Amino acid sequence: MRNLLSFALIGLALVLPAQAQQMAPGFPGDAAVDLGQEKKTLKPRVVPNSGRLEWMPAERDLTSWTTLSHLDQRDARRPQRVTLEEPLAGNPMRGRDIAMAKSRGNCVACHELPGDPWPGTVGNSLLNYQRRGMSDARVYQQIYDARIFNPQTVMPPYGTNNLLNEQELRDLVAYLQNLE
Amino acid sequence: MLNRTMLLTLLACPVWLLFAGQAALANEPYRELDRPRAYTPDVKGDARFSDTYRYWKDRSRLDPAMAGNPDEYWKLNWKFMDPPFNQAIHGGHFAMDHGETRFMSLNRTHSFARCLGAGKQGLKGLRAGYPRYVARLGRVAGLEEMIEHCAAKEGVVMQNGSYDNSAVALYIASHSNGMPIRIQVSKGPMRQAFERGRLLYHTRSGRQNFACASCHVHNTGKHLRGNNITTPFGDASHYPVYRTRYELQSLHLRMIECQLDTGAQPLLPGSRAYTDLEVFLTALSNGYPVAVPTERD
Ligand code: HEC
Repeated sequence: MRNLLSFALIGLALVLPAQAQQMAPGFPGDAAVDLGQEKKTLKPRVVPNSGRLEWMPAERDLTSWTTLSHLDQRDARRPQRVTLEEPLAGNPMRGRDIAMAKSRGNCVACHELPGDPWPGTVGNSLLNYQRRGMSDARVYQQIYDARIFNPQTVMPPYGTNNLLNEQELRDLVAYLQNLE
Repeated sequence: MLNRTMLLTLLACPVWLLFAGQAALANEPYRELDRPRAYTPDVKGDARFSDTYRYWKDRSRLDPAMAGNPDEYWKLNWKFMDPPFNQAIHGGHFAMDHGETRFMSLNRTHSFARCLGAGKQGLKGLRAGYPRYVARLGRVAGLEEMIEHCAAKEGVVMQNGSYDNSAVALYIASHSNGMPIRIQVSKGPMRQAFERGRLLYHTRSGRQNFACASCHVHNTGKHLRGNNITTPFGDASHYPVYRTRYELQSLHLRMIECQLDTGAQPLLPGSRAYTDLEVFLTALSNGYPVAVPTERD
């Protein structure tokens, strides 16, 4: 049984990137994917003393956003203007978790936030954010798609690119607007 | 119909650059560029970029005080990890020995080295002149792509990015130690590859909509969590590199790592786009000496 399992695992790791046949039209043929896998996106693993590069499933499926391939014919997502339906109904505590978690908002990678020992300095510090006196709608748009205010922004368009859902965005707004 | 070369020529012209970074031409998919700029294809170009070149220009004369201060690492462009400053024995040395063994067995009839473009000088200087236009293939190719190609001719599988491939690349690179990188990007297919690479470096992709330049150009020296972002000048001269977590990493695998870290779907090693980026990055190392084997965290 154990042998069988390790055999299956080795088999999985040896799968070579498949061609993009059943992907959305315009998906490039030179992307590292295996369409047989649930997450499709592959990451490489270098095996000592081997002439083959192993591939295994990446942490998440990244096939729905554009790549750098010259063969990628899909459009990137354009800037999107949104209106926030009031009331905000966000939960600051949940917002805090989202801001800190690497796999979710990961705001701390670029911004300074209370309680983080290794603040990023790519974006502005968000300490005492409340003092800026921004409207909820303004902050919501900033997180949803900041390109509306600044086309050159490094801020990921969390709403437009489906990185976070609407409630998560509301939680983040509530969290920031409560930072005294 | 506009083909890609025409599009790139258009994009490369300064007048176009005045109009923000949006690229939307008929028949071309919608892309956003993050503030493209001009680059001098030489390591000295960093003087007008991050202005840290003076600190890491000569690897044998780095300031030990800076090398002992994590806040200054980025200014040294991590060159304190390279020989001769770093004399430690690490996985890169074992990889190089392995690469030598693999090379010797591939090159029994000397056809392997010939296929890679070795002339009278043997392997000397070979690494310093890659990527190059390979007429036989009708395209620009990096050293690792050629190793895969030429090994296949000897009946050996040595996939681009695999340990064996990078080990052989490392062994070959060791014959260029101390020799400055020298690739010509002023005309023909190499110029086109450099131009495509330059624009790719500024093209946004992935779920977070970052371009390489979003970090490496517009946020050089800033903190990204535990990391301090360094200049892209002088980076191509120490690949493949031994990484504590990745065994042996070719430049294309390093790009894959950055893409996965930023939520962008990676491409296969040897893809045209990564090769264009390799040409671009290698040109930013022109004039800077090869130093292998080396390590990074
Ligand atoms: C979110 C920020 C970010 C993005 C986007 C990014 N990188 Fe990086 N990259 C880093 C950090 C941080 C490091 C490690 C510190 C350093 O060397 O600058 C790094 C390291 C590298 C290195 C190794 C440098 C060396 O000295 O060995 C290369 C090469 C590289 N990146 C290329 C790219 C390319 C090509 C892209 C685009 C496809 C890209 N990066 C996108 C943040 C980023």
